[in-house]
Amino acid sequence: MKQPLALCINGENHELFLEPSKTLLEVLREELDLTGTKEVCLLGSCGACTVLVDDRPILSCSTLAIACKDKKITTIEGVKNGHELHPLQRSFVEKGAVQCGYCTSGMILTGKALLDENPKPTKAEAAEAISGNLCRCTGYAQIIDAIVSAPEFAESESTQAQDPLAGTLDSGPYLMPETGE
Amino acid sequence: MQSLPNFEYLEPSSTQEVAELLKDSNTQSMVISGGTDMLPSMRQGIFSPDVVISLQAIPHLKNVEWDESEGLRIGPSVTLRSLESNADVLQHFPMIAKAAHAVGSPQLREMATVGGNICLDTRCYYYNQSENWQACDQECLKLGGETCKASPSGRATKCFAVFSADLAPVLVAIDARVTLLSARGERSVDLREFYTGDGAEPHVKAADEILTSVLVPKQMTDVFGSYQKYRIRNSIDYPIAGVALTLRFEGPEKKVEDVYLVISGVASKPLMVKRIPPLLSGKVLDDELIEEAAVLAKKAALPLANTSGERAHRKQMIYEFTKKAFAQAVKYGSQRS
Repeated sequence: MKQPLALCINGENHELFLEPSKTLLEVLREELDLTGTKEVCLLGSCGACTVLVDDRPILSCSTLAIACKDKKITTIEGVKNGHELHPLQRSFVEKGAVQCGYCTSGMILTGKALLDENPKPTKAEAAEAISGNLCRCTGYAQIIDAIVSAPEFAESESTQAQDPLAGTLDSGPYLMPETGE
Repeated sequence: MQSLPNFEYLEPSSTQEVAELLKDSNTQSMVISGGTDMLPSMRQGIFSPDVVISLQAIPHLKNVEWDESEGLRIGPSVTLRSLESNADVLQHFPMIAKAAHAVGSPQLREMATVGGNICLDTRCYYYNQSENWQACDQECLKLGGETCKASPSGRATKCFAVFSADLAPVLVAIDARVTLLSARGERSVDLREFYTGDGAEPHVKAADEILTSVLVPKQMTDVFGSYQKYRIRNSIDYPIAGVALTLRFEGPEKKVEDVYLVISGVASKPLMVKRIPPLLSGKVLDDELIEEAAVLAKKAALPLANTSGERAHRKQMIYEFTKKAFAQAVKYGSQRS
């Protein structure tokens, strides 16, 4: 039977009315149109649906939405700061760590959880952290490089003029397209 | 998206309430903790409970407590991640931390719990499939069919699904006990008696019982412990061969006083190799004895072609791991003299 459920996602409160059998992934993608979180295996074997619950990476395909009430949920849509990409996202762009893009949301959230806990991880630590996220484009080298290089982008946040890609995107350097929120 | 079947969701605030809810045999109820194994199985139609009872509103089940007289008490809702990084676990039973770290992937360990790993359902190529897949052939024994399709003849009336937990074999080797609670009362069960070896009903916990606590006895703090795991990829996957060893030496000669070897991922339960203690007790370990023990472990492993990995390879890995575990034990013993 459907029941009311309040979820706090990316700092915003959502009042929902749902079957308790809805997974967090279904609610994100189908109820809230937060389709940055990807659905792939639905078995807990690929990491593409990774989101942060209370700042820890979990698999949204194997988590009931109702079990996330009173918790802080962060999806890929909530990683950016306003209209500016997170240093890790900028590092992914810069290091060519995105190929088909299907694993990217999960990789960034897993990487972000690592960086929040350990701001200067080694390559081995980054590899261990993303060991539950599959990339079938075989782009692990660039992804690991992007995670360990993220601190450089945090430091250069205020020096956008030096960005090699500055001005090359239609909407300006590393700006997110307007989502019409 | 393939949705989960609908159910009623309850979040009681005490284990007594859970026991009362499970008492009602007219509704099919299941307890959920991490959900990492249960929800994918529900999506495949393997389980379809009317009621799902969450343990997340019972905070004390998330505690790990070191008791100087009893030992280590682990709550069933403790996640594998918090177990692997717990200071008391690392200090007193590092092998438990290592086994917890060997489970799944970082995300799975963040969610999966100790109770779920102990009560893990058995797995099999013929069982963990979608309803559409199941509809194409006669029913698997564990799903209500007549015979086990994984058995070599395909006609066995015993289920051969594989028990694939990492923590459980270590807890068996280290002689842990679990407490089971139901409306009928509470009982304590030695984990060495907990597993049945029947893939269809892998453990003795009744449907109306809930696992409320795991106790690792204090006397085991001074044993050597080792856990080795083989899987296809070095993350995410279940074990397809594993060896857990606990061993205690006595005296300056380092004679084997107490030894327990459990193999996993190759049977329907964490399987104790019963012939190893009589072989080794009272003796000083040498290469020949270790070789004999490894051969015994390999003989005891009877994997079927119902999970990933070749059978012969998995048997060989049991042999190799056993040798490696005993070699580590000898090294540990010599460092302690």
